[in-house]
Amino acid sequence: MIIEILEALFLVLTGLMISYLVRHYIFTLAVLKDAGKKKEAVSLGNRARLPHVSILIPAFNEELVIGRLLQRMCELTYPVDRLQILVIDDASTDSTGKIAEEFSKLHSQIEVLHRSEDEGRRGKASALNAGLNFVKGEIVLCFDADYYPQRDIVEQLAKEFEDPRVGAVQGRVTVLNEPENIVTRLVALERIGGYRIDQQARDRLGLIPQFGGTVGGFRRDLLKSLGGWDESILAEDTDITFRVYLSGYKIRYVNEAECYEEAVESWRAYWKQRYRWARGHMQCAFKHVFQVLKSKNLRFRERLDALFLLNVYFMPVFVLFSWLISIPLLFLGPPPWLSLGWAAGVFSIYSFVGNFAPFFEVGIGAYLDGRTRAHWLVSLLVFTFLYNIPICTKALVDLLISKASGRNSVPWDKTIHSGNGNSYITNQNKIPKRY
Amino acid sequence: MSEKRRERPDCVGGLTYEPIAMGDQKLELRSSHIVLGFLVAAVFSCAILFLHDVSNESVFMLTAFNFLFVSLTFPLNGSLATKVLLLSIGNIVGVLWVLLFSMFIRTVANYLGAAFNALYLILGPFVNLVWIVTFFSLSLTVLANAKTGK
Repeated sequence: MIIEILEALFLVLTGLMISYLVRHYIFTLAVLKDAGKKKEAVSLGNRARLPHVSILIPAFNEELVIGRLLQRMCELTYPVDRLQILVIDDASTDSTGKIAEEFSKLHSQIEVLHRSEDEGRRGKASALNAGLNFVKGEIVLCFDADYYPQRDIVEQLAKEFEDPRVGAVQGRVTVLNEPENIVTRLVALERIGGYRIDQQARDRLGLIPQFGGTVGGFRRDLLKSLGGWDESILAEDTDITFRVYLSGYKIRYVNEAECYEEAVESWRAYWKQRYRWARGHMQCAFKHVFQVLKSKNLRFRERLDALFLLNVYFMPVFVLFSWLISIPLLFLGPPPWLSLGWAAGVFSIYSFVGNFAPFFEVGIGAYLDGRTRAHWLVSLLVFTFLYNIPICTKALVDLLISKASGRNSVPWDKTIHSGNGNSYITNQNKIPKRY
Repeated sequence: MSEKRRERPDCVGGLTYEPIAMGDQKLELRSSHIVLGFLVAAVFSCAILFLHDVSNESVFMLTAFNFLFVSLTFPLNGSLATKVLLLSIGNIVGVLWVLLFSMFIRTVANYLGAAFNALYLILGPFVNLVWIVTFFSLSLTVLANAKTGK
């Protein structure tokens, strides 16, 4: 009896892994099919009809990076008279607020909201909600302080709101400090798979492109009607993605709206960041999974994709679980299909990196980006997946303990940015080779 | 930041003061390449079945490689000859890898006995996957370089 139960469990888990693998294979094919199509150029069109856009920049101790973003904000091609840039200084202890104030004095479109120690330091969602009270624009965009957008990014993102069904929009994230070390290079590959293929395919296939918390935005009225960001959820971006869809709106992904980010540079920082993502994502799964199943605003394919998306951070835990199950099966008398099931499981290991993109998805994404050497590191992505197993397992255990004990508040563990990405921006005269 | 760092030749983002958009490779999807690729892959897959000493997992891995390789790299830019050559090399590398690995397994199992079976079951697919991912990645580099004329 025990053997039969273990076998059934192992089969179910293997089936789950294969279903994710098939999903990402379909995504890759969809983007490949789309790669031959011509893209439309974005024009500003009639200036009188341009929406007023507010950009929220939450910042806590970001003195090393905030300057370059604000400088960039002053160089955007969007008309200044239709732009409000609101820096939310979340009770920083360094000179973040001072730098923002200096920009504000020179540029009328930049405003600074200083939060006191009592109000601030409660996480990104809290800072964004504070900023939401002061927005004037019809469209609200969000950027993290370590980001560096292309100059026409507002046009690229705002144009999607011409469609009244679109409630939110997401742009592409690429890694600024990719050559720093092996961690940043692997994170860059994850980003390629996650955005160039995964997000784009979900957009093209009419599934659920995810709002990534930055380089994107919402209709202000929708955002306010949803009550802003949920401060109790660590992955406030995933949470709001589902709230947008459940309220009947869509999210569009714009691959051409590129923005550079400063990726984490050490395995320790990687752990902290992914732990927060994993735990937050799991919180969202517990919060939304039944609403998604019951929602009448979602089509069948959206519901299916939503379930895949919500449960994606459970998969590393399931893989670990399937390994643990297979050990007693080996000794209690392995069924003839065990080795094949195990092979399928191992094959899907490469399916769970970054936004859980398999090796072929990352490789094709890098190819489509015109990269010629980045593929060399794809094999190493297995290590990031193996690293994700303890991260996600700890996140799940901690979440279950906090739920059982009724203590759901989790301190926001901020990612520290070194400002090393600046060296790739200030290089004005040299155009680096692309590999 | 030091000047030395700024001049690093492996700066991959293509980033200057004005960020340059990531490349957006236009593909001319060639269905004839894909059909021919699947025919060649079918021939290789049948040939693998005639090999002795190849485990079920190895056949599964080789078949998965052929399927993924043809369906995902044959639509890319590049000549059919290059793609067929890469597919052929991939299959040869795969078969050699599998045969060498199975010989190694037999030798080690001789010394360690049944206890080795568990180790083999766990590590076998990992080892098989190494060549697939590596070869797939290197093939993309070849096709990307062919595309850019390097």
